[in-house]
Amino acid sequence: MRHWLLLLRTLVLRPLRADPLRSALTVASIALGVGVVIAIELAGRAATGSFQNSLAAILGPTDLEIVANGGVDEKLMAALTALPLNARFAPVMEAVIQVEGLGYVTLYGIDTIASADTYVKTDAAATLDNCPQIALAKDLAERWGRHVKDRVRIFNRQFCVAQIVDARNGGFIGMDIAEAQRGLQRYGQLDHIDVTVDPSESLQAVENAVRRVLPAAYEITRPGARSRENQRMLRAFRWNLQVLSYVSLVVGAFLIYNTVAVSVVRRRAEIGILRALGAARQGIFWLFLGEALLLGLTGSLLGLLLGRLLASAMVQLISQTINALYTTSRPAAIEFTGPTAVLGLAAGLLAALVSAFGPAREAMQVAPTEAMSRGSREHRSRLAVRRHAFFALLAAVAAALVSQVPPIDGRPIGGYAATLLSIVATAFLAPLVVLRATAWLRRPLERVFGVGAFLGARSLAASLGRTSVVVAALATAIAMMFSMGVLVGSFRETVLVWLGQQLRADLYLRAAGPAATGAFPPLPAGIEAALRTLPQIDALDVFAAFDFRYGPDRATLGGADFDIIRRFGRMRLLPGQERDAILRSLPGHDNVLLSEPFANKHGLHRGDAIHLALGPRQVTMRVAGVYYEYSSERGFVIMDRGTLRKYLPDQPVTNIGIYLKPGLDQNQAQRAIETALSRFPVSIARNQQLRAGAVEIFDRTFAVTYAMELIAVIVAMLGAANSLLALVLDRRREIGVLRYLGASSSQIRNMILTEAGLLGLLAMLLGLALGLVLSVLLIYILNKQSFGWTIQFHPPYVVLAGALLLIWLVTVLAGLYPARVARRLNPIQVVHEE
Amino acid sequence: MASLELRHVSKIYSTGDQQLAALRDVSLTCRPGVVTAFLGRSGCGKSTLLNLAGAMDFPTAGEVLIDGVSTTACTDAQLTTLRRGRIGFVFQFFQLLPTLTALENVELPLLLANTPAPRAIARERLQWVGLADRGSAYPHQLSGGQMQRVAVARALSQSPAILIADEPTGNLDTASGEQVLQLIRRAATEFGASVLMATHSLEAAAIADVRIHLRDGHIESHS
Ligand SMILES: Nc1ncnc2c1ncn2[C@@H]1O[C@H](COP(=O)(O)OP(=O)(O)O)[C@@H](O)[C@H]1O
Ligand SMILES: [Mg+2]
Repeated sequence: MRHWLLLLRTLVLRPLRADPLRSALTVASIALGVGVVIAIELAGRAATGSFQNSLAAILGPTDLEIVANGGVDEKLMAALTALPLNARFAPVMEAVIQVEGLGYVTLYGIDTIASADTYVKTDAAATLDNCPQIALAKDLAERWGRHVKDRVRIFNRQFCVAQIVDARNGGFIGMDIAEAQRGLQRYGQLDHIDVTVDPSESLQAVENAVRRVLPAAYEITRPGARSRENQRMLRAFRWNLQVLSYVSLVVGAFLIYNTVAVSVVRRRAEIGILRALGAARQGIFWLFLGEALLLGLTGSLLGLLLGRLLASAMVQLISQTINALYTTSRPAAIEFTGPTAVLGLAAGLLAALVSAFGPAREAMQVAPTEAMSRGSREHRSRLAVRRHAFFALLAAVAAALVSQVPPIDGRPIGGYAATLLSIVATAFLAPLVVLRATAWLRRPLERVFGVGAFLGARSLAASLGRTSVVVAALATAIAMMFSMGVLVGSFRETVLVWLGQQLRADLYLRAAGPAATGAFPPLPAGIEAALRTLPQIDALDVFAAFDFRYGPDRATLGGADFDIIRRFGRMRLLPGQERDAILRSLPGHDNVLLSEPFANKHGLHRGDAIHLALGPRQVTMRVAGVYYEYSSERGFVIMDRGTLRKYLPDQPVTNIGIYLKPGLDQNQAQRAIETALSRFPVSIARNQQLRAGAVEIFDRTFAVTYAMELIAVIVAMLGAANSLLALVLDRRREIGVLRYLGASSSQIRNMILTEAGLLGLLAMLLGLALGLVLSVLLIYILNKQSFGWTIQFHPPYVVLAGALLLIWLVTVLAGLYPARVARRLNPIQVVHEE
Repeated sequence: MASLELRHVSKIYSTGDQQLAALRDVSLTCRPGVVTAFLGRSGCGKSTLLNLAGAMDFPTAGEVLIDGVSTTACTDAQLTTLRRGRIGFVFQFFQLLPTLTALENVELPLLLANTPAPRAIARERLQWVGLADRGSAYPHQLSGGQMQRVAVARALSQSPAILIADEPTGNLDTASGEQVLQLIRRAATEFGASVLMATHSLEAAAIADVRIHLRDGHIESHS
């Protein structure tokens, strides 16, 4: 045992300490990699974890929930309460509303009289004159500075705070259901009925009895279903973020590989001597794995800390994205749990172990007393270039094959495997590229930059083994950045074009209130009629949308006016469908149009039958066509308004697009309309405003991915600096000799900077090639399989070129410190070291 | 004209609170075409003296004059120019760059100095040391003697006024050592260089015109 500790000290600890900067750089790259993984995990969970219902805080625990698309009919309550069951039925309204000047909150409307035991305690508060009471979550009360008996203005009326509720998730207001229905203009409708079963009663018996009185299309679910639905909906989103978060770690793994490989190369002679002195092969192997573990562990621990910090910054970004693309949620508190810590440590250590395995095995195979010179060592790796190129080919073929695998459980596993294999192929191809490119570029570089460039190119090619690892690491980071850039740029362009086709009207009208995905506040009744009387108006594109369940998923159901849509050319159908005929087939028929993500997610095609639960009824309709839709990842099912009215007569209008008469002055017309509608609480937006808003949401959505790409690139930069430094330290004797031969310090600097520049250039070449492959994978496979969108290929050339140039410059900058070290070496000392 | 002169040169190394005088009050003059051998046991200050003479290091007292100019007064750029054009080095461990061929190693000082037609000169020097046919070999493909001959060719590529050789045969067998010594001798006569050579060996001392014995950093005897 003691002698292993001694070996650990001589072979691992001492060299790590002797080279503190390089050790620190390696640890930092792992810390960043683990940090991103942890941050995404924590922030993702916090951003999606806030769907837990706060209702329990005012209603008490619930056992079952009755729900229906388009709302539950209030009349059902009579039938339910008449059941001879020991159970309590609580009608609930639930909506996100805007409280003037204070922001958006969840509103729960409940039966305050029936729930008097759990809700408002009618003591002091009851004396308030004729003022309807509300219960306020404690966090809101604190944020708004409201106390019991204070007033809050909701739905243009005064409400009095009767009680402040301390609930875990907070952020809600409770009020009487009749007030809520009136405020939301949904008379006679409930969002759900919550059932609490007495312990003496069997849950199953109650469920069966309830089901018998429910209309066919009503559903009875266990509580938490909503939260589970949301989690399910967000699964692909979170999964993609998580996968992306591992990119930095992969880049970090390359760097651990590099560090350990350098250790092995440097200490070959020492290893040989130790072997000759009787050290066992396995021991040497474990020593070098130990070095990687040490680096990995330190990095991971720091990464946990860093991740916790990053998570706070990211949770807001992620939750904005979720709000924009999926559903309304508020971020919950970040919870750093044991399993998360274990995940971070495991990820970091695994990356370290996997990447150190090869070098450690190489160390194990060093023959006793071997003291091979570097020349012959690198000579051997030169011979392996061809074999590596062959492996690259194999990996590329494998990538092409697995990319064709269909998604598994909704996850594009094949696509991710293909991504990883493409990276592997690039890593194997790197030595060949380095060798060829340096041979090619040496002369021209020499002509331009002089002898320093000539020497730099030579030494890069000579230390091929590790140069190619660094090139591969940088190339991976660049490729990730590039391909995300292509994806986002293409997506953006696609959305812009689509917006141009989708947003045809001049003005858009919706209820004043939160513009949150999954929330569809109704427009005030009578507004459509009021609009039609105005002389400025050419046509109205009226839309009634609501949140509905389709199997285990949630989507948006809409009723639209297809004659208007057809006339103004809105909605673009997927290729191969006859737009006019399809749009004509919707009014008067049980036909629907599906958005592309919905059709893809549920495997539905044109002509298929689709079963929808509409109010009390289960209806079978036909898919008339599939249209492009990029506004949210929730699917859309659109039918004609007449058809919708047939099944759900009371669905309120939620959006109106206004087409003005041609030749009118937009500003004047808008002002006239605003004046005419002044008594209605609505918001009117212009076409351009809506477009700008959509683009803004889009850009915000991708901020997180940009941040992650940036970190991957930073990790790769650290790696470039790290390995250039290693190259300098390993060649310090040569650098000293150069000084003896008359090299000026600027020539030495040029040599190192050329190496940095070449490294960056080669990484860029490989990174671009890999990046193109990855963009195709991202756009046509990963995106298609996880989100179901068709994205047109539109790389943002200028931005990408700029980013690449920047990365290249930074790589050269990463060479500045090593260059300084090289210039400051004392030639006398390093030459006489032997 | 004396191309190299040391005037009352001392070199004191301070490590921590310990002071070590590697050279004490050394004065000497080296003339073109003359081979000066420095003898003495290990640690007596031979390498220190050669580094001072080659303008790689500076005395703590006294002056080193190359072409009449004190190295201490030179700027970094001037020193670089000096090393490029006036001084050639040969080391005990050859110190060829492993990533360059023999020819490229010889060419290197010419490239660093931006001399015209470097390749032709390098070929000529290789031929001069009798290795014209090994130009494309890498150092690890050469024998020790061949490597040291390439190193001599490299040191002479700029036709330097001063050739400094620190134990040039210390790592060679007798036969190869003899070949290298002959080349060094010829460098003095054919190139007119002042040769400064540190050595242990009697064979090496035998080719010198002047032999200086060092002991504990000062000149013990002159012969
Ligand atoms: N950089 C240095 N720092 C401290 N002492 C040194 C240094 N270089 C050489 N010395 C010491 O100076 C003395 C002379 O060394 P050196 O000139 O290398 O001797 P030689 O070449 O004759 O063997 C030795 O005692 C050596 O230890
Ligand atoms: Mg010496």
